[in-house]
Amino acid sequence: MTALADSPVGRTLRTPKGAIAGGWIVLLILLAVFAPLLTPYEYDVQNLPGAFAPPSAQHWFGTDEFGRDLLTRILYGARTSLSVSAIAIGLSVSAGMVLGAAAGYIGGRFDRIVTSIVDLTWSFPEILVALILVAIIGPGITGTLVAIGVAYLAQFTRLTRAQIMAIKGETFVEAARSLGATDTHILLRHLIPNALAPVLVSAMLATGDAIILEATLGFFGLGAQPPTPSWGGMMSSGTAQLFKAPWIILFPGLAVAITVIAINLFGDALIRALDIRSRMRSA
Amino acid sequence: MLGYVLKRLVMLLPVFFAVSVVIFAIIHLIPGDPVDSLLKVGSGPEQRAILTARYGLDRPLPVQYAIWLGNLLTGDMGTAIVGRRPVADLVMAALPHSLALGGLALLFSTIMGIGLGVIAALKRDTWVDQAIMGGVLIGSTLPGFWLGLLLILAFSVHFAWFPVSGARGWSSLVLPVLTIGLGGTALVARVTRVAMIEASGRDFVLLLHAKGLHPLRISLRHVLRHALIPVVTILALRIGWVLGGAVTVEVVFARPGLGTLLIKALNQHDYPVVQACLLMLAMAVMLGTLLGDILQAAMDPRVRAALA
Amino acid sequence: MTKRFRHAAFAATVSYFALMGTTPAVMAQEAVFVLPLSEVGVPSYNIVTQGNTNLGAYMIYDTLVVQDADQSFHAGLATAWVEAPDGMSWTFEIKPGVTFHNGEPLTAAAIVAWLGFFTDSDNSFTTQSIEKAEATGDLTVKLTMKNPDPNLLFNLASSTMGVIEPKAYVEMGEDYGVTAAVGTGPYKMESFAIGSETVLVRNDDYTWGSDLADNKGPAKIARITLREIAEDSTAFLELKTGGVDMLMSVPTDFLGELAKEPAISTLTLPGLEVVYMPINVTKAPFDDIKVREAAAFAVNQQEILDSVYGGVGAVANQFLISALPESQVDPKYLISYDPARSAALLDEAGWAMGADGIRIKDGAPLAISLWTQSDSSFRRLAEVVQAEMKAVGIAAEITTFDSSTIRDQYKTGEQQLAVRSYWWANADIVDWFFGGDRLGYPNVSMFNDPKAEVLRAAAMTGSKNSEERIANFKAYHEYVLSQFTMAPIYQPVQNIGYNKDRLKMPATIRAPRINGQTILSMEIIE
Repeated sequence: MTALADSPVGRTLRTPKGAIAGGWIVLLILLAVFAPLLTPYEYDVQNLPGAFAPPSAQHWFGTDEFGRDLLTRILYGARTSLSVSAIAIGLSVSAGMVLGAAAGYIGGRFDRIVTSIVDLTWSFPEILVALILVAIIGPGITGTLVAIGVAYLAQFTRLTRAQIMAIKGETFVEAARSLGATDTHILLRHLIPNALAPVLVSAMLATGDAIILEATLGFFGLGAQPPTPSWGGMMSSGTAQLFKAPWIILFPGLAVAITVIAINLFGDALIRALDIRSRMRSA
Repeated sequence: MLGYVLKRLVMLLPVFFAVSVVIFAIIHLIPGDPVDSLLKVGSGPEQRAILTARYGLDRPLPVQYAIWLGNLLTGDMGTAIVGRRPVADLVMAALPHSLALGGLALLFSTIMGIGLGVIAALKRDTWVDQAIMGGVLIGSTLPGFWLGLLLILAFSVHFAWFPVSGARGWSSLVLPVLTIGLGGTALVARVTRVAMIEASGRDFVLLLHAKGLHPLRISLRHVLRHALIPVVTILALRIGWVLGGAVTVEVVFARPGLGTLLIKALNQHDYPVVQACLLMLAMAVMLGTLLGDILQAAMDPRVRAALA
Repeated sequence: MTKRFRHAAFAATVSYFALMGTTPAVMAQEAVFVLPLSEVGVPSYNIVTQGNTNLGAYMIYDTLVVQDADQSFHAGLATAWVEAPDGMSWTFEIKPGVTFHNGEPLTAAAIVAWLGFFTDSDNSFTTQSIEKAEATGDLTVKLTMKNPDPNLLFNLASSTMGVIEPKAYVEMGEDYGVTAAVGTGPYKMESFAIGSETVLVRNDDYTWGSDLADNKGPAKIARITLREIAEDSTAFLELKTGGVDMLMSVPTDFLGELAKEPAISTLTLPGLEVVYMPINVTKAPFDDIKVREAAAFAVNQQEILDSVYGGVGAVANQFLISALPESQVDPKYLISYDPARSAALLDEAGWAMGADGIRIKDGAPLAISLWTQSDSSFRRLAEVVQAEMKAVGIAAEITTFDSSTIRDQYKTGEQQLAVRSYWWANADIVDWFFGGDRLGYPNVSMFNDPKAEVLRAAAMTGSKNSEERIANFKAYHEYVLSQFTMAPIYQPVQNIGYNKDRLKMPATIRAPRINGQTILSMEIIE
């Protein structure tokens, strides 16, 4: 317990911003996980005569154009939106760290090739990269996962590479090498752990952006396909009802906004607690 | 200085070629054959072969690429397969709309961002700072399409101040500019604030304070000038991003522009148009980066000295 | 440097101002109409090759014959016509003094040349009964028939048979209809941006309005922009806020809201559209007619009418609009929601109900795909159908395509179920969507059945008069229904919303839909 309290995460949670933001994220995850226990409604059972009901005691957030409870769909939608974003960023970070670490450590021609390939995706805003990738893979959760993952690959590769470059000349690395450590050993035991903090924090911040990106792909009808709820998908079909039932886009949008704000605040507080502001910017 | 600019321009060439290869290759990975939409009802493989040959889609990809690039260098972007008119015409028709939207949005984020950033820095760590930075954070975390829809609901439907969609007249620009601009404001404000705080700790500022100059005057005349270097760099980098990132906002407001052109062409598998749009957007990003570097060089006396 | 930059920025701004200046928001004598969703994305005004046309085609072109709201035929570019008693030839007298937009005169020779374009085109069915067309005088055309065609006048009045100037058509080749279109209609095409808008300007020489037009020409509105807005709600908001003057099709969802608007009037015309669910008869499990029947009877037409369309319009229980006599099929062929029947049929076909509510046969779940176009109204309907399929144990996965590419997707023949609609007021639409030689698209059901082809030939070419044609088409229609090639869903009505402070409609609409002749008499209120 003391270990946790002294850890950067613990220090972050003790700041008011960090506590509120962290609390929201934890709460949201719990709500998503326990959604079936929390709501009497099914996310996919239509009740057409009850469509377009405004927020009320029965339906706190109202119902959508199929008479489904909006709050229920937002809770289940959190599963899709959070997991797709987190998994996509997870994949992206893993791949980015391997590529970036290898490029930074090996250097030379390999570094130049990796950097220039990765930089090519850097020439386009994430939304364009994602749109084109979904066009290739096809709409749905898989397409969205890959699209978001690739869209952020450049960021993590560059960041990891910069971290590795910065520390590979330091004395403890030299010391390890002089003691006969292999390259793999140095990379895995010394370089990556030291480079980890900034990369993980930026991954956390990127997850916030990824939630927006996932919602945007959903808005174009390219994300999770019906009846699976996702925040973006809900807003996509709600657009047509903008005038008649504005709550259909209002609440999922608020869910996205509040979650992304929380992630950003928590990330900021974490940066402060880890004291890695300068290292974050080296990329 | 001119030498530096030229050198950087030359360095862009390989990047341009690499980007063009990637764009070309990627487009051909998209499933769906543009010829499909041109085929008559009930036509067989022969008609397909004829059409495929007419658009040169039967040749090996490297040959297609070479032809495309060759034409491109002479300003010929090909002919839209579905629209059957020169791609250059379509792009040129869309470009002014994109530039107007992007330019005004950038202007909006610049003015708002620098203004708010300066105020936040001057009132550092007070509630004013907290409120401003909190506000811009919220602005940057709202999904663009959602914000756009809410703005339509409020200002087009409820108050009927601005048109709902389209690009007829200036009033149709207000809401889209606001939607994109609010997102960019956060970034500019954050960078401005940090740069102001960092610059105000420099020796020369301390010296000015020692000289007894008015603190506000120091902040606005001297500190801001130094703080602007990273801000301008960030702004230049944003040029291309504002154009490409406007896709969703253009769609929400049903505005003509590179974004809507791209989305439509992507849906119609109209390769030449998709290629041209992507290339334009990539070039905008590249030129923005270049501009950022050059401005940084021009403004930063240390870099200028190193180049001279 | 700064100064120079400022100067450049200023120049750019000025040129943008100039550009914007050419399209002021609303000009006097200028109107903006929004096309119905079913007409969005028509890629060309080459109406010979297009299966789908839009309102603009009615404005650019005139037809030889025009149809009244009561389906009767009247003089258009042809002033008179005579059918031989045996139906084997027709003679048309052409109106004198008519010129095309490019100044060429309308002659019998031009008509003959134009009719020739239809051979081998997508729309060849409109002229397939014509053996030979010849000019027997400067303004007289004689058609020699292969077989009597009771449907000839309908075809000649249809939107695909607007008369095109033949020289321009040949000269322009593939560009025809995209960069320019030349007809004799009350409006000329000024510009056309596919999927976005068409700008039409008044043909000032026009004096040859049809017998059904109050105003014979020229048109009263100088300039009309036809906007294509893919999103219903955007179109609705544009009308509500005065951004456009008329919506050719107001979604039923918004009728209540429009009624509250003092400036907006709604005009209701009988529907010409049918929404239905084609079933691909070649793709398992739908190669089994029992499974097709089960899927067809799982669609709850009444629920869809009430909940999705607010009770406006009517349910569809067969394939044709109910105004057509061929729609009066034997009641045993009607398809109307019966979930018990669906369940029994699926049990019979060996699909047993699984634990998760999805039926299983030989260990495989009854999972199929449901295609539709990405417009929100179709997506919404598809989601309802998806839930209705689930209710009988069929798991449908929705795939959406852009409205411009979904036809190409159908051509692959990979579809299983789809939700779509057609807009046509003639029984020959059965031939169009179920003819064995148009597999993929338009024959989305991939239906190719020897017995159907025999009935089809009789209906299309073996009818000597209208009564025979009706009987033949009814038999063909009934057989197509009996094979469960599709499930009928809904028949909309045409709801036209317009700004009555801006636009004055003709006293009566003498046409099955708003067309060029109707617009001829529309006025702007100054």
